[in-house]
Amino acid sequence: MKKLLITSIIFAFVLAVPAHAEQLVVVVNKNNPIEKMNHSEVIDLFMGKYVVFPDGNKATPVELNNKSEIKKAFYSELVGMSLARINAYWSRLKFTGRARAAIEQPNQESLLTYMSNDTSAISYLPRSQVTANLKVVYELNE
Amino acid sequence: MNKSGLVLRLAIVIIFTAAAVGLISTQLFYSINYKNNLADGYQSIEQLHKTVSATASIATYLEDSELANEVINGLTSNDIINGAAINTSKLNISSKGYTDNENVVSFRLFSPFEQDREVGRLSIMPNLTHIRDQADAISFDNAVALTIEVTIISIITILVAFFVITRPILGIGKSLHNTVPGTDQRIKTPENHQQSELGVLVNDINKLLEKTEEQFFNERSLRNEVEVLENRFRMLFENATNPIALVESSGNILLYNQSFRELLTKLGLPLKKSYGPYLQDLFADKKLLALTVKSAFSNEEVATGEFELKAKNSDKSFWVQAVITATVSKDFKEYNQVTLHDISKRKQQIDRLSHKANYDKLTQLFNRQAAEYQLTQLINDGTPFAIILLDLNGFKPINDIYGHDAGDEILTHVASQIVKSLRKEDIASRWGGDEFVVVLPNVTSNEDIKGICKKLKQHIEKQHYLSNANKSVSVGASMGVAAFPDDQTTLEALIRSADQAMYRAKTKKSAEHYVSFSDEDTPSEQD
Repeated sequence: MKKLLITSIIFAFVLAVPAHAEQLVVVVNKNNPIEKMNHSEVIDLFMGKYVVFPDGNKATPVELNNKSEIKKAFYSELVGMSLARINAYWSRLKFTGRARAAIEQPNQESLLTYMSNDTSAISYLPRSQVTANLKVVYELNE
Repeated sequence: MNKSGLVLRLAIVIIFTAAAVGLISTQLFYSINYKNNLADGYQSIEQLHKTVSATASIATYLEDSELANEVINGLTSNDIINGAAINTSKLNISSKGYTDNENVVSFRLFSPFEQDREVGRLSIMPNLTHIRDQADAISFDNAVALTIEVTIISIITILVAFFVITRPILGIGKSLHNTVPGTDQRIKTPENHQQSELGVLVNDINKLLEKTEEQFFNERSLRNEVEVLENRFRMLFENATNPIALVESSGNILLYNQSFRELLTKLGLPLKKSYGPYLQDLFADKKLLALTVKSAFSNEEVATGEFELKAKNSDKSFWVQAVITATVSKDFKEYNQVTLHDISKRKQQIDRLSHKANYDKLTQLFNRQAAEYQLTQLINDGTPFAIILLDLNGFKPINDIYGHDAGDEILTHVASQIVKSLRKEDIASRWGGDEFVVVLPNVTSNEDIKGICKKLKQHIEKQHYLSNANKSVSVGASMGVAAFPDDQTTLEALIRSADQAMYRAKTKKSAEHYVSFSDEDTPSEQD
């Protein structure tokens, strides 16, 4: 009984912690010619400044929906802002009609599928979930 | 209104000071206000910048001209902003009327996601005109308020100064101006000033007036005393029977009394400013007076003496006893007091007495005593002279027949005849009875003497009409001559010689031998 409890606590930690603690990486379709991106280039794409990769190819940012812990962690690590502030930023831009937010995917599977099918796609994942179809172009700092 | 009046002066000073202070403070206030407004303006701009900085950052980050325009429009809607501009590497958006000048405030815009990534600039042009207008408006209001305040304070100050200080002072001044010192007039203390400095001033003035009155009173009574004293002295001086004069050492007459004036009138002299030192010009013998005064003064004595005065139009002689004193006044000036005492009457009496003593009462010739005195004088002086002793012939019968009065008449007649025959300097005297002695000073020649004797004889022998007896008679004369110092050197010897010579002539009883000389040997000899 006691053993089971300890095990379940450890399991819970194993399940819960990795989602936060694990390093996030920015990935693109493996067929995308871009190899590496820097911090600013990542920000410029995800915050709507540019719609193309530095090499001039079209870029389509993709991400999970708002509730995603990964999304929260990503923006926090990328620009140090909460999701609420990120949303406020986008809502302000909506009036100008110019910028657009990343395409949202309901779950991990659909995201991975989208990524595998669109060479212009760019998204972020915990390092452990990177598949063979994807290419890591930027690693967010721990 | 008086140009240098207190109120006017005070008002001018207050008005000018108020104007100056108002002007300076308005200027100062304006300058401070403008600076403050400017600072406020810049602060507002800063705040506005902060307000729009998030949006501006996004706009510049995204280089979104729409958003940038929105920001600029938002900014320029403020009064204090004239224009604004957002510049990035690609975007240059500015409002209408924006010019890049030194007043423009520039802010660096950073990426909203990367704090150290500069993405553009926001430039804001402050509306200086608006700021200045605002400052002007505030300053104007302030100036108006200040002017009103200063005016009110000035008016109140002037009014207070006038009613509390100037008017009471003017009142005191006017009152003092109309006050005659030495009277019982006093100055009234102005209302509500009993305890103030003005009250004290009035009190002090009144004390001064009181003291002045007292002093005036004392002086007046003192003056009265002096006047009374002076009148008494004047009375004493003016009514003195003796002429008195106070004379400066130079001779100027300072003071004289009524008697002195009368004396001058008597002397027939005008009232002059000066009659020389100690009035010496009034005296007949100036030298004698000067000598007397000098010797007395050198012995520090009062000079006194009897002197004759110089009478101008009168043959009467004035004699005075003069008392001359020297006095030195407090300021070391020398004065002479001359007091005269009229002794003319006494002098005349003395003269009369001396005349009686020396003259024969009947003939008015020198009597024997006087003649002897004169002769002694001549002898003592060593003056040569001749004497003629004259004895009448035929006098005794006239005296016996017609009486003593007739005799006296004859003697008087003879005496006048003798005087007629002589020079002025010759001396005629009645020696006694019907004997006369004639003295001829400085006559030495026998010829001259004989001439005189002849003249004498002729005169004496003239007929004389006796009115009482109604008869003309005549007498003769025998004369004996003696000379000094040729014949004799003493009076007795001279008289004796002359007497003997006369007897010799008498014994002849001849008309030719009526005179004999004492040095003749023979009595009969005659020339």
